[in-house]
Amino acid sequence: MGFALQLLFTGIGVGSIYALVALGFVLIYRTTNVVNFAQGDFAMLGAFGMVVLAIDLELPYWLSIAITLAALLLFGALFNLCVYYPLRNRSFLPGIISTIGASIFLENGVLAAYGPHPQSLPGMFASQGFNIGEVFFDSQYLLILAVTVAMVTLQYLFFERTLLGKKMQATSQDKEMASLLGIPVAWMIVLTFVYSAMLGGLAGVLVAPILFVSVGMGSSIALKAFAASIIGGFGNVTGAIVGGLALGVVETFGAAYLSVPYKDAFAFLVLFVFLLFRPQGMFGEKIAEKA
Amino acid sequence: MPLLELHKAVSAYGKVEALKGLSLHVEEGEIVALLGANGAGKSTTLRTISGLMKPQSGSILFRGRAIGGLSPEAVVKLGIAHVPEGRRVFPGLTVRENIVLGASNRRKVPRGELDADAARMFAIFPELKKFENALGWTLSGGQQQMVAIARGLMSHPKLLLLDEPSLGLAPLIVQQVYKVIAEIRREGTTVLLVEQNAHMALSVADRGYVLETGRLVAEGKPEALWSNDDVRAAYLGGRNAGG
Amino acid sequence: MTGGLATTTAPAITSTSARALGGVAYLALAATAVGLAHFTPLPAYWLNLLMQASTYAIAVLGLTIVLGYGGQINLAQAAFFGLGAYSVALGTTTFALPFFPSLFVGVGLAALAGAVLGLTSLRLGGHYLAMVTISFQTIAALVLTNWVSLTRGPDGVTDIKRPVLFHNYFASSGHYLAVSIAILFIVGYGVWHLKKTKLGRAMQAVRDNELAAGVVGVDTYRIKVTAFTLSALLGGIGGGLFAGGFAYISPDQFTFNESVVFLTMALLGGSRSPVGTVLGTGLLILLPEWLRFLKTIYLAVYGCAVILIMVFMPEGIWGFVTALWRKLNPARPIQAGKIAPLPLTQEVGQADGSTILEVSGLAKYFGGLKAVDGVGLTIKRNTVHALIGPNGSGKTTMLNVLSGIYRPTKGAVVLEQLDITNLAPHERAGHGMGRTFQNIRLFGAMSVLDNVMVGAERPNHAVAGKSAGLVRHALAALDFVGLAERAHLQVGSLSYGHQRLVEIARALAGTPKLLLLDEPGAGLNHVEKAELVGLLKRLKGHGLTIFIIDHDMNLVEQVAEHITVLNFGRRIADGTPSDVLRDPEVVAAYLGEVRANAAS
Repeated sequence: MGFALQLLFTGIGVGSIYALVALGFVLIYRTTNVVNFAQGDFAMLGAFGMVVLAIDLELPYWLSIAITLAALLLFGALFNLCVYYPLRNRSFLPGIISTIGASIFLENGVLAAYGPHPQSLPGMFASQGFNIGEVFFDSQYLLILAVTVAMVTLQYLFFERTLLGKKMQATSQDKEMASLLGIPVAWMIVLTFVYSAMLGGLAGVLVAPILFVSVGMGSSIALKAFAASIIGGFGNVTGAIVGGLALGVVETFGAAYLSVPYKDAFAFLVLFVFLLFRPQGMFGEKIAEKA
Repeated sequence: MPLLELHKAVSAYGKVEALKGLSLHVEEGEIVALLGANGAGKSTTLRTISGLMKPQSGSILFRGRAIGGLSPEAVVKLGIAHVPEGRRVFPGLTVRENIVLGASNRRKVPRGELDADAARMFAIFPELKKFENALGWTLSGGQQQMVAIARGLMSHPKLLLLDEPSLGLAPLIVQQVYKVIAEIRREGTTVLLVEQNAHMALSVADRGYVLETGRLVAEGKPEALWSNDDVRAAYLGGRNAGG
Repeated sequence: MTGGLATTTAPAITSTSARALGGVAYLALAATAVGLAHFTPLPAYWLNLLMQASTYAIAVLGLTIVLGYGGQINLAQAAFFGLGAYSVALGTTTFALPFFPSLFVGVGLAALAGAVLGLTSLRLGGHYLAMVTISFQTIAALVLTNWVSLTRGPDGVTDIKRPVLFHNYFASSGHYLAVSIAILFIVGYGVWHLKKTKLGRAMQAVRDNELAAGVVGVDTYRIKVTAFTLSALLGGIGGGLFAGGFAYISPDQFTFNESVVFLTMALLGGSRSPVGTVLGTGLLILLPEWLRFLKTIYLAVYGCAVILIMVFMPEGIWGFVTALWRKLNPARPIQAGKIAPLPLTQEVGQADGSTILEVSGLAKYFGGLKAVDGVGLTIKRNTVHALIGPNGSGKTTMLNVLSGIYRPTKGAVVLEQLDITNLAPHERAGHGMGRTFQNIRLFGAMSVLDNVMVGAERPNHAVAGKSAGLVRHALAALDFVGLAERAHLQVGSLSYGHQRLVEIARALAGTPKLLLLDEPGAGLNHVEKAELVGLLKRLKGHGLTIFIIDHDMNLVEQVAEHITVLNFGRRIADGTPSDVLRDPEVVAAYLGEVRANAAS
């Protein structure tokens, strides 16, 4: 029982990372209809940013986080300008391929700059964590959970309570109509990329201490986040979060009880099952087709 | 000086020209109806005015200023609101949110003013009040049309472009919508109206234009248009059968 | 090679001499390449590069079929490539089988995997398909790495055998390369030829407009699965040859990244033509070699290149070149000679007032919206029956239900005693139902002739004389609408009015029993409309049964013998034009209630 609870805790922690990246996916998909295959590389950049700043340059941890996230905000705008904007009026395939190109560029750019050896990053806290009964609460996992809850709450408040959030929602629902109302659609899209890049970067910053920081870390996280968003219901914010958490738990239990080497396969098996029997995901299409 | 003037405007979808040199004008305070068969270029005319399509040649003047080629965001800031065909209510936002977003073209509106404007819309369309917090997609066609018009009015337009406001609405609802259109004009907003429901449109309009495949074929006062055989034929046939 | 392939989108009838010339040039090129590989002793470095290029190119040709022709994404080509490679590797080592049986097993496995994957996921399409193929790719790579007892794990398989036939001919890498190149040329020809077959046209039709393809008679799902399976099969062949060529393989050669490389090769060269595909493969294998001076950042440059290609050359290098070529050398009209009249009806003269289509209690609801609500009507043979009503009254929904695009909520549709209520669009086309669309749906990247040929190739439609007869038949349909001399043009380059006529010709080419026309007059000027009326009258004269939706009463009145009027999804009138158009309810629906005058 204690073991299972331990796994659940770990699974939810890992799942939170998937959820954060999936959230970025979904936001970009909803506003641009582009499936961003470089979303995981935002996380990779975040993790490497921490390695450079906190280890190589020996800056304080919190300052490193702040600079990394700020840099990713800028990077999101740049990404929008170079990868999305020139292809905004084309079908979905060129868009997808363009983001794949960006992913190749980013991974190999970092590889050239930093070499193939995985780096490691200490956690934010000196304390390793604490025990309650048989369950060990790792401090980094607790941090991940806390930040995820905070981000999800903030995002909810932003979209539901602010006019800017409503404008972004309007943009994702009907760009042409939004522009007719005077909503600056191009800027809303920039904002989406900026925020999604920051979310991805944050996931990277958080996950760096529990994984090795490597060039390929982004794509493996991204693939699972993508799977999570389909399991949750593609394009659905709640679905991305629940899907991400579910995937983290399934994967952790699968690795513990079934097979470690095939840990990465469980996510995709679950995905297959969903695509076959419930392709609309857990949270389906909430908004009916426009009449 | 007319409020809006199109001079030999040409607009195309890819290689297919939808407006082939259209000239028309709308005077301040008028309701002008744009009539014609499906595919005649009525909606294209509105899309070209509001910036959704860039004219390939010709000019569009709004209060004497050239607006051809401006973005939709820029055009609505100048005071032209476009309520497009099919209503296009944001399905995942509430009625109130839809309406409030109509003021997005105005700079830094204080929250209080926004609320007052929204309240005015609910006064014009009282039946929307009870759906204030319902999501857009749950509304009936008539309710959506009212939300769409209210959203357009929130931008404080000088000129309102209305595309097929009667589309798919029951006669009683159409009457209601048209009452509102007449009222909007009384309050000083100029209206350019695209309609398939010719009688309805001409009943409120001061003048009308009839389009065929992107060109003007007739224009004039409602009575004149109404007795024009071309117009009647386009809608009800009878040119050949003599019915 | 270029002589034959430059005109890939040109119509099927080119002069036979030009065709023969292209064939000879292609054979000569193939012979030269194979001969060079056979006789020239190449340094190992070049041997390896060419070996890689030729085997990769075969796999990438698979993407030409699935992506270029069929318009479906496949991000698992490296997995199919790996299935072929591992079958040969393990077959010739662990299982001690000869090379070719191992290769056959590998190709079979790849095709089987492709078929299963396609069958399960091609109903979804779009990004779902992307995700399913990525998942398959990821799982395949994991299995190759982790099923150590079978695959020997991350270390890979060494000492893979080649065929021992013909006095150990293949032991020389040059000879093996020569055979690989020969196979590449054969596959390349096959893929090029595919484009001009019924199957190839159906794939392109699905790519350009899936909905229209179904209505014209293409079983879109089956075609997509076929394309996907063929693509996997070619992946398997390439992989099998690759394993034999290098004698050593490891799991990291078959990862998702490699699938992306395959995709990029196809896109860079131009995925719609096998020439482009081979060009792209060659370039991307050589490019890293040429970019060696960039050392570690060459892959980053490569990523940038992918984005730049997407932005500036969406059709790839070869697509760019052919577009330029076509601009400088416009295609010549088809010299068809005398065109025979189009046989328009299968059984002539049954104007006996019998019923051809019986619709009863038909309803289609979208959530709470009752778009069509309990409509019944009867279409008599050899008549023109019009369906009219204000915008939004449910006419197009009705037509979509009749042609099978929507399943009705209630009601039945019977075509000549056959209940077709639950048939798919292509099955209805197979029973002789043709249709056009209000917002023209043509296969934009195909020629006018190819568009019409797809229509003639509907199920259960026999055209005498196979391929030549098919072209003649399609030209006859184009001639009927007056566009035979434009048959060679790309359909997207025609004017709006002509595109409408091509759509009608496409439907006529299938010799429909019943033709459904959705607003054929929309967007036409009065000259074009007069021509349309003439065309409709001629069709009627030939005994065709037509069900037409239009807004132009003038047009409807001139051609229709019977009118049904819809308003708010319900039938409000039904009868002869003179009766219906005098019906006060109809007048009110059309012109607006006179009493409802808001201004007064």
